[in-house]
Amino acid sequence: MRIANRLLLGVLGAALMGAGAVTLLAGRRAPDTVLLTRADRVRWRDEGWWWPVVIATLSVLALLALWWALAQLRRRRLNDVLVPLDDGTGARLRGHALETALRADAESLSGVAHAHVHLHGRRAAPKASVALVLDPRAEPAATLRRLETQTLTQARTSAGLPDLPAEVRLRGEHHGVERAR
Amino acid sequence: MNGFGRFWSTRRVPAGLTALVLLGALGLFLYDLVSQRTGHPVMEWRRWLADQLASRPLDDGWIVGIAVSLLVIGAWMVVLAVTPGLRKLLPMSGNGGVRAGIDRAAAGLVLRDRAMAVPGVRAVRVDVGRRRVRARAQAHFRDLDEVRADLLATLQDGIRQLGLARRPGLSVRVRRPAR
Repeated sequence: MRIANRLLLGVLGAALMGAGAVTLLAGRRAPDTVLLTRADRVRWRDEGWWWPVVIATLSVLALLALWWALAQLRRRRLNDVLVPLDDGTGARLRGHALETALRADAESLSGVAHAHVHLHGRRAAPKASVALVLDPRAEPAATLRRLETQTLTQARTSAGLPDLPAEVRLRGEHHGVERAR
Repeated sequence: MNGFGRFWSTRRVPAGLTALVLLGALGLFLYDLVSQRTGHPVMEWRRWLADQLASRPLDDGWIVGIAVSLLVIGAWMVVLAVTPGLRKLLPMSGNGGVRAGIDRAAAGLVLRDRAMAVPGVRAVRVDVGRRRVRARAQAHFRDLDEVRADLLATLQDGIRQLGLARRPGLSVRVRRPAR
């Protein structure tokens, strides 16, 4: 999603820049011309294929734009995680259950006020994104280390995952000043 | 894309807005074209737009203005596409499969709490920039240089404990409170 968004933004941005630049340059060279004369506009109108092609192109582009807009609203969520078993089969673990467990575990760490966990990626190779809201007394690096060594490691072993890559964001809660006396 | 260090934003909001604008414009054209093809009259704005395009010369103020704004908007979109964004998130040094970042404001709160514990400090503002941490403190007792030295040590320690991937610089200013 990130790559698609950036690619499309870049391409469309470059196209807009190009359109603006071409118009400005053309205006310098021949200030009296216009952008689209009537003759240009109706040039293809009488061809049999013109209107179907225009309407088809616009429809496809509109559908793509609709898809792009909707894709921004959707958060890809992992419905279940595949837990490999010893006999070569696997069991399904509900993604939501793992998220809840991770979250409860993270919130029990000292220094963490709230946590949010979201699983994405593939069923056999899930990834976690974790948001932690820190306590006023938290030491960020120590809290992060505890999250790695306790919460994530535990989840990894209990779900039998070879690894569980995680992206962690730490936020703070605004709080008043406590003064040394 | 997932470059080492910085976090890259998904650019959800600019992408969503662009998509909606596109969808609106395409939909409007499509609607009008189809209704015209099926024998309904053309909407007024299309006739007006065609007239404008065919009558305004290229050095007309409106044309130039719109071209310039297209240039600016396009440049902005390209900038959004190629820069990482998420400037308020400072990357932390994680290990293994963990990538972590801390909000600059949160880091500032942690450092402020530590700075307030230095004897003599009455008030302090800690601004965590992307490369530099600035602390401005008011000390109401003790020698200013001593307070400054203590603050420097405390904040260095605090910055170390933030566990950032790149250690930011530190500058400390201490003053007497204005009476």
